[in-house]
Amino acid sequence: MNVLQTKGLSHHFKGLQVLFGVDLQVRQGEHHAIIGPNGAGKTTLFNVITGTYRPTGGQVVFKGQDVTGLAPYKLARKGLGRSFQITSTFEKQTVFQNIRMGVMSRRGIRFDFWRRVAGMDGVTRETEEILAGIGLVAERDVLACELSYGKHRALEVSMALSTDPDLVMLDEPTAGMSKEETHATVELIKRLTKGKTMVMVEHDMDVVFSLADRITVLYYGAILASGTPDVIRDDQRVRDAYLGDMEFSHAF
Amino acid sequence: MKRPVVWLAGALAVLAAIPFVFGPLHTNLMVRLAIEALFAVSLNLLLSYTGLLSFGHALYFGVGAYGAALILTHLQGIPILVAVLLSALAAALVGLVLSPLLVRVRATAFTMLTLAFGQLMFVLCSKFREVTGGEDGIMGWTTPPLALPGLFSLDLRQPVNIYFFAVGLACLGILAMWFFTKTPMGSVMISIRDNQKRVDYLGYQVVLTKAVIFCFSGFFAGLAGAVYAVFNNLVSVGGVLHIMVSFQPLMAILVGGIGTFFGPILGSGLLLLLEEVTQAYPELALMISGVIFILVVMFLPGGAISFGARLRAWWRKRAYLRKARESEA
Repeated sequence: MNVLQTKGLSHHFKGLQVLFGVDLQVRQGEHHAIIGPNGAGKTTLFNVITGTYRPTGGQVVFKGQDVTGLAPYKLARKGLGRSFQITSTFEKQTVFQNIRMGVMSRRGIRFDFWRRVAGMDGVTRETEEILAGIGLVAERDVLACELSYGKHRALEVSMALSTDPDLVMLDEPTAGMSKEETHATVELIKRLTKGKTMVMVEHDMDVVFSLADRITVLYYGAILASGTPDVIRDDQRVRDAYLGDMEFSHAF
Repeated sequence: MKRPVVWLAGALAVLAAIPFVFGPLHTNLMVRLAIEALFAVSLNLLLSYTGLLSFGHALYFGVGAYGAALILTHLQGIPILVAVLLSALAAALVGLVLSPLLVRVRATAFTMLTLAFGQLMFVLCSKFREVTGGEDGIMGWTTPPLALPGLFSLDLRQPVNIYFFAVGLACLGILAMWFFTKTPMGSVMISIRDNQKRVDYLGYQVVLTKAVIFCFSGFFAGLAGAVYAVFNNLVSVGGVLHIMVSFQPLMAILVGGIGTFFGPILGSGLLLLLEEVTQAYPELALMISGVIFILVVMFLPGGAISFGARLRAWWRKRAYLRKARESEA
């Protein structure tokens, strides 16, 4: 069953067409990577799926429902979580408070102003469990902006997962990381997304091949190929599209 | 849990003793402090906790003050507490009515929009003479006593009684806002300040949350305005809707400590104290407060409330340097 499906999704910014009828299919439980050269429209595809922009054409179907152009908060409540390419946490709040925002949302605690949040034992316990799961227990009371870059990115990814979404979309989770940090993050994502449906955009081919069950190649706003890592690796059109891209040729 | 209770009890005891220790003059000063502090804290909810700079908070203060004046003038026999609460609710309602426009904009646009609304209300109340009395304002109504029939009746023209009335309401209001910052919705509010986009993607309704905050902040600003009306027995556009009424609590927040909850209360106290000290030289008062304002922003950006911490840090650094020099020698 497809958790997420886009039908003829297209988008343009003031005349500049970025997506040309993308038909993406994400099956239940799979780890799906979207790759493509710079400017292929990967992040735009992410943004029109998660509600940042309303697509100028086509349809987004999530869990069998048409969710085209739905506001981000509504999509989040339907079970879609996402992380951002540029780290976007609550920097002046502690790691604990950051994750707690996700836990509160998961429990539907939103317009509640007659109880102290610190007195909600269930929320506190659940938040601490998540912190233990992502290995940030020691950093519980550290401000997000004071974390090392790798840990801050890990927090970013964990926040997308903190609402316990049915589908999690990660926008370049390892962007800007060192080799060690990348490795640790890959392990973290593997662990956290076990049994979950995940879609990610990623440039680092090592990360893609160690995380994805299926890969979709986006090229100038359209899908060039879609299939298992082995199929993509051997696809001649993909090789041609990436010709000269050192990073990619290196990965093969 | 024990320590805050002791602090609270101590603070309440001091507040209760003030009117009996000081004369009526200083008791009245404390009433003004209560009004200013409540007003400043309500604005601070927007500035320090939602990250929105408002230049028109006098709007809510004015609606509360005019509301109380109108109710007390035209509805004789209404209990004073009901009148004050209705006025505060009217201010909250104004916040609700304006929120569809206010939630749409951020940063400078928000500031300009609040400025526009504040000035609009100023002009409306100046021109709408039949209701508001225009430039003269409303005055001379008889304030009913604070009474529970058969139990007690307190004449609010007595300094001691108005003191307990104003300080009591201000404490309740400030306590309610303090509690609000500790609730789940308070967390959402702070998170909107830090990263509105992320709040949206986590499944919270940013727009509706902001609307509730505007109502909440407007309610307590209106409450401050209503108490002001009862205290002064006079409400005029110059006193409650003028742009300086919007800037006064802003100064208090910046002088006291932006980003803190209790800073604005301290700031209100300091500004009021300054006003009292420079009372004999009214032409100098504005200049002195201006200079102090500049000095605080430049050299103590955390406000007066951060002074202790700054002093401690400086002292520790000195001790550390001395030790380092000694070990070198």
